[in-house]
Amino acid sequence: MAVFDTPEEAFGVLRPICVQLTKTQTVENVEQLQAQLQAVSDSALQQLQQYILFPLRFALKTPGPKRERLIQSVVECLTFVLSSTCVKEQELLRELFSELSACLYSPNSQKPATVSEELKLAVIQGLSTLMHSAYGDIVVTFYEPSMLPRLGFAVSLLLGLAEQEKSKQIKIAALKCLQVLLLQCECDDHPRSLDELEQKQLGDLFAAFLPGISTALTRVITGDFKQGHTIVVCSLKIFYRTVGFIMADEQLRRISTVQEKPAVEHQVAKLMVHREADWVKSTGDKLTILLKKIIEGVSVHPHWKVRLELVELVEVLLLKCTQSLVESAGPLLKALVGLLNDESPDVQARCHKVLRHFADQKVVVGNRAFADILAEHLHSLATSLPRLMNSQDDQGKFSTLSLLLGYLRLLGPKVNFVLNSVAHLQRLSKALIQVLELDVADIKIVEERRWNSDHLSTSPKTSASRPWSQIQRRYFRFFTDERVFLLLRQVCQLLGFYGNLYLLVDHFLELYHESVVYRKQAAMVLNELVVGAAGLEVENLHEKHIKTSPEELSEIVTSILEEYTSQENWHLVTCVEAEEMGEELTMQQSGLQAITSGSSTCQVTSFPAFSKPSPTICSMNSNIWQICIQLEGIGHFAHALGADFRLLLMSALYPVLEKAGDQTLLISQAATSAMMDICLACGYDSLQHLINQNSDYLVNGISLNLRHLSLHPHTPKVLEVMLRNSDASLLPLVADVVQDVLDTLDQFYDKRATSFVGVLHALLAALAQWFPDTGDLGQPQAQSVGEKGSHSSPRPAALEKGLEKSTTAEDIEQFLLNYLKEKDVADGNVSDFDNEEEEQSDPPTVDENDTVPDVEPPRPVQIQIAADVMERCIHLLSDKNLKIRLKVLRTLGGKCGDFLRSRFCKDVLPKLAGSLVTQATVSARAGPVYSHTLAFKLQLAVLQGLGPLCEKLDLGEGDLNKVADACLIYLSAKQPVKLQEAARRVFLHLMKVDPDSTWFLLNELYCPEQLTPPHPSLHPVQLRGAVGQQNPYTANVLLLLQELQ
Amino acid sequence: MAAPPPPPPDPQFVLRGTQSAVHALHFCGGAQGQGRPLLLSGSQRGLVHIWSLQTRRAVAILDGHRGQCVTWLQTLPQGHQLLSQGRDLKLCLWDLAEGRNTVVDSVHLESVGFCRGSILAGSQQHWTLAVPGRGSDEVQILEMPSKTSVCTLKPEADAKPGMPMCLELWQADSSPRPLLLAGYEDGSVALWDVSERKVCSRVACHTEPVIGLDFDSQKARGVSGSAEKALAVWSLDEQQALQVCGTHKLTNPGISDIKIRPDHKILATAGWDHRVRVFHWRTMKPLAVLAFHSASVHCVAFAPDGLLAAGSKDERISIWSLYPRT
Repeated sequence: MAVFDTPEEAFGVLRPICVQLTKTQTVENVEQLQAQLQAVSDSALQQLQQYILFPLRFALKTPGPKRERLIQSVVECLTFVLSSTCVKEQELLRELFSELSACLYSPNSQKPATVSEELKLAVIQGLSTLMHSAYGDIVVTFYEPSMLPRLGFAVSLLLGLAEQEKSKQIKIAALKCLQVLLLQCECDDHPRSLDELEQKQLGDLFAAFLPGISTALTRVITGDFKQGHTIVVCSLKIFYRTVGFIMADEQLRRISTVQEKPAVEHQVAKLMVHREADWVKSTGDKLTILLKKIIEGVSVHPHWKVRLELVELVEVLLLKCTQSLVESAGPLLKALVGLLNDESPDVQARCHKVLRHFADQKVVVGNRAFADILAEHLHSLATSLPRLMNSQDDQGKFSTLSLLLGYLRLLGPKVNFVLNSVAHLQRLSKALIQVLELDVADIKIVEERRWNSDHLSTSPKTSASRPWSQIQRRYFRFFTDERVFLLLRQVCQLLGFYGNLYLLVDHFLELYHESVVYRKQAAMVLNELVVGAAGLEVENLHEKHIKTSPEELSEIVTSILEEYTSQENWHLVTCVEAEEMGEELTMQQSGLQAITSGSSTCQVTSFPAFSKPSPTICSMNSNIWQICIQLEGIGHFAHALGADFRLLLMSALYPVLEKAGDQTLLISQAATSAMMDICLACGYDSLQHLINQNSDYLVNGISLNLRHLSLHPHTPKVLEVMLRNSDASLLPLVADVVQDVLDTLDQFYDKRATSFVGVLHALLAALAQWFPDTGDLGQPQAQSVGEKGSHSSPRPAALEKGLEKSTTAEDIEQFLLNYLKEKDVADGNVSDFDNEEEEQSDPPTVDENDTVPDVEPPRPVQIQIAADVMERCIHLLSDKNLKIRLKVLRTLGGKCGDFLRSRFCKDVLPKLAGSLVTQATVSARAGPVYSHTLAFKLQLAVLQGLGPLCEKLDLGEGDLNKVADACLIYLSAKQPVKLQEAARRVFLHLMKVDPDSTWFLLNELYCPEQLTPPHPSLHPVQLRGAVGQQNPYTANVLLLLQELQ
Repeated sequence: MAAPPPPPPDPQFVLRGTQSAVHALHFCGGAQGQGRPLLLSGSQRGLVHIWSLQTRRAVAILDGHRGQCVTWLQTLPQGHQLLSQGRDLKLCLWDLAEGRNTVVDSVHLESVGFCRGSILAGSQQHWTLAVPGRGSDEVQILEMPSKTSVCTLKPEADAKPGMPMCLELWQADSSPRPLLLAGYEDGSVALWDVSERKVCSRVACHTEPVIGLDFDSQKARGVSGSAEKALAVWSLDEQQALQVCGTHKLTNPGISDIKIRPDHKILATAGWDHRVRVFHWRTMKPLAVLAFHSASVHCVAFAPDGLLAAGSKDERISIWSLYPRT
């Protein structure tokens, strides 16, 4: 609250103090004056400004040594006055400016005088306040050429302080003051903007300081990170504002070639700079050097605000000084682009905004020079990319790729200029191919198998909303950081979005063909190109860019798809265990060799399924990845095309489904997720829905491939999967294809029966599921019975009944039993029909009509199918291959009990038991590699199959003993753990059938406790298994006995 | 190890779902920009399936013959109209425009034979239809769409060629007079001048009834097949006289349909031996045996773009892409 409102009052109070101060200059007097000034109103102070300033200035000007403390308080008091008043006279302003600057002048050195930090701070603040208090137009006139020396002194003084002081406070104050001095102050006190002429004059004046300012600030900016971010941010700001002002294209355009004669003395005139073309060129060159230094230092500055300021710097300089700093455009763009993927979201956002701004302003595209520079950079980056990827660490790769990504973003559609040059495209693609090289040495890839083949998970909605963007974990040779892979994908997507898709796809398909070494990488690139071309996930900076039309994209996808699913790229060797091949022993050996030799030498070669040389682990891994990548691509394509992909399902669904049933875990996972993608893209609720709705396409593929089974050995698997996921509405289609299957099976009984038995199993299970025992007449069979029902021959009652109900598995089973009996009777062979079966060499269908024509009933379709299947199964029961027999037995399993039991006990069991016993000695001695052999797998399969069979077939005591004897050996601790487990499971099943004898048998092996008779008159029981005596069977027997109790 | 022999040719794809034997096939659209190409098939159970060749699925099913076998399908050149001939003695005219599928007209037939009809579409509005007539050896000519009977072609009393088995109406470039080629039960092929109602020429081609014939009016040459083990190729000279140029032995007897491709380069036969055979039309050199079906092939058809379709008793329609024209 001012006490003295009028100048008269104030004068009365202040006069004695001023007089006293003029006489004796002491700190106390100054402080007294300042204290009194507090009580004077601003308007009064303004009136008395000159009067009050006089003693203060006098104190500063008095010659002779002065005490720093005094000067400091004088300056502070002066600052106070200036902060409350305006300086309205030019002369006063200039004098005060000189007097304040002189406070820090040391006549002997270039550097600021060695005075106390407080004084320095006071002077800086004084100068700053002075410039703020300058009133209106006098500020502009202040910057006259004649002021050049004095201004120059102040500028270099402030720069020196900013650079060399230790105190952060002084540094910042000096920088702020410099801002004010260079008319860059951000406060609201400078409302007037400069007109063109004024700008030019100022520019001319400041140009003289440019070398000093830019070099000093560069030193500050590139100084130690520890100096704090505020100083760097502030320095950067002054740097780009000053440069942006002096080098502004707009100003330079108006500079005449001849320098006007300035109306100043010669000395000063010599200092003046004329900003003509040569000066601009040389200054630009020098600035480029400084800018490079700055960018190098700042783009890796740990504080995000500094990096943010760098973005601002790029924006300002690129927008204002396009021509004058054309040499710096490259480094500036590089800096910007490099920050696009900054870890700070603020920096990223600002970068994107700036880029969008550039795009809007056509800074890059509208400017040939810029586009050329970018293209050149892209080219040189592409050239060095392979080398960089080899030598850089992940962080280095990350920034290099960020840069690449940024160039592509900036170039947008103009990227085609680069791609259209063969050399450019080749460098870029070679680099991508090299970086994306996978590490295929991991043995796990081959090893991980899918054991239960039962169900595909059903709903695509269970996974994330965009499952297509999730990718199986890959291992690359040249990097481990996931972010690097992400960047690579983005790079490819951008290429696909902006580039000429036909050109790119052609090029990468060529690479795909060129060598197995490139194939996987090329496929990865192709996948991302398509995603990018569809405009998914791509932020478009170039609004006029027209993306690839759906028709074109669809056409391109079709051709890639054709390539992916062609025989030689789709059916690759992925495992040594080729169950279809007959020569098991030779396979077993070569398989072992492949494992041992494969791990030492790592050659990547691709083998189509039908070529013979034994594949190495590496080549199989490589094949697995290739298939996975192609599957993933199909998912991507579906996503890119959306509902348009439906038309491609006729060619794509079959191959994908085929891989969904693959034994290799990775492949089957990839196929399943590809199907999920297809579901989402084409609007199917679930995989089941997808398969069901497109069964006609699948059936088409299955039927055609069955014609060339040796080339398409997995066809039955596809049918299997299809059957599992279909419903009764597809019966006509199924009936159609089953006929093909059975015909083919008839041709290939010897070689490929195993895979067919799986189908037959699935088929019967499906039929049983589709036509459950509902008690009433199902629609289809009622209809067909009605249609064909003109059958008058006497039929067995059971058959009649079976036909009428006819929809359950039990009925099918009943029917088959009756049918078999009937057939035996017809053959006149009641007592021993097994022999008859074995002697019969033709497929049963052939003689069926001859032997029992009358019994041929008008069967509903599903019954007909079931009967046909059963006939094949019977035939297969005597197959040489144990595995097939087991599968057949399990297929028929509980459905044809009695007949099967006798067949099983007579024919199959002895062989199974025999093989188990003989193999046991081998497996007991075998090492860890043994579990990779076919022999092991066979043992395991037999053990796993025996238990359920014994239970289902309800074997008698003698046969159970045979089973038990054969399996006992496998309870030994010497056997591989998996076999032990399987054997234990057999015994668990045996316990269910006959717990007592199993108990006895186990106790014979090992007796955990002495059995005490319930009554002393009874003999003590002595079992063969000695009590407490450890033997190899102890552990497993104990486990099993626990189960029994 | 020797490289595996190249696999036998496969159909491009197979259409399933007619659920009964296929007796008639006809392509429409696709060539003159009439939208997506379609394939029409007629089944034993009287249904006409319209297949989209793009999705390979039936887009519509027409039921107009009361469960009786559909033996002939033909679209009219001017638009979305389809003729279907059924064993229910009815010839239906369907309107298929804009997704409609309704019978707009029908002609009552008076012959229960196997003979398929034939049309000659001259002007935009009017067209001529040949169908087997009331008498067992007659052919009836109708003016459509008015259904007015133009004439009945009855062989001379002493000729006794038996029933007409297949018909082909055509018009020479030089004259506007409609001509009719008819294959008869006695194995002869006759050329009728429709306006004069007289036989121009008749030639015995087969010893068994003629079951299918096709005629190439550019080369004035035709081909016919019958139940026997041979194809007959015959030609027409300037005096409109038919003469047999030669016969070509087949491995197995029985041809149920025969078609020359629209570009007159190749021809295809539908065999009772489950095979489709392809011949070079000029030289009659056998080019391919297409084995896919598991029962008699009943009909073959060529699309304007050269695609071949074969319909069989095994309820499937196989689509083949043969020697695509470049």
